[in-house]
Amino acid sequence: MIVADRKPIDEILWMVSDCSKILVVGCKGCVTVCNVGGMKEVGILASTLKIARKKEGKPLEVEEKTLERQCDPEYVEQLRDSYDQYDAVVSMACGVGPQFLSEAYPEQRFLPAVNTTFFGGAVQHGMWEERCAGCGTCIIHYYDGMCPIARCSKSIQHGPCGGSAGGKCEIAPDVDCIWDMIVKKKMEQGRLDDLLMIKAAKDWRTARDGGPRKSIREELLKGEE
Amino acid sequence: MNYVKKTLEELGIEPERVEMFNLSSAMGPRFAEIAKEMTEAIMKLGPSPVIC
Repeated sequence: MIVADRKPIDEILWMVSDCSKILVVGCKGCVTVCNVGGMKEVGILASTLKIARKKEGKPLEVEEKTLERQCDPEYVEQLRDSYDQYDAVVSMACGVGPQFLSEAYPEQRFLPAVNTTFFGGAVQHGMWEERCAGCGTCIIHYYDGMCPIARCSKSIQHGPCGGSAGGKCEIAPDVDCIWDMIVKKKMEQGRLDDLLMIKAAKDWRTARDGGPRKSIREELLKGEE
Repeated sequence: MNYVKKTLEELGIEPERVEMFNLSSAMGPRFAEIAKEMTEAIMKLGPSPVIC
């Protein structure tokens, strides 16, 4: 899922410094799963902001709401009756949330409370790792289910670079070299020769490099039979 | 508890103002002892910067 980290409290306080009444809106999607923007975290952020502002002698009124998701119009619609009652709305959803809310309610200010980072999963409780770079042309079947685009620091596709040592990447001692892992797995599976296959240069146009992307499903568009 | 203490610290409030103790409802004397300890600690720290 999409993983995010909450912004430092100082930054959020700065964003709402000119407000006296705000809404903190959470999301029951990815940010709930990574414990950063769900109902509980909305409550924690609301309390923290109230305490901080009380200490400054400039009280802040904070209301809380958590939507099912902030990336679908039918859920965004649920704020229609209340969005204008606040000086600003702080969204704890991933980067998509505040943008969808801003498009739906252009007169209101929507502020991001989290820094959205990567597509990943939980490797242990409380720890998430990046697995997917969203390159648009999935090739993990060539690498026994591991992705060198997302998990190699250089995104190289034909084998490790000279910086691979002791199974670790040269950029940091706690970063695994995915190529070390791929080669080891291929050896275990007796498929090392697969790596001899030279692939054409990757077409990066399907990735972020090709500009903002769309996904259109003709059969699902309204009005189609 | 550590998370709450850390948050208070970030806000510039002394983390010693919040503590968690584990005891049963039968432990009356221990409860009184804890109440006394916390009261003394708080008195030393002075009024909370967050005036309620």
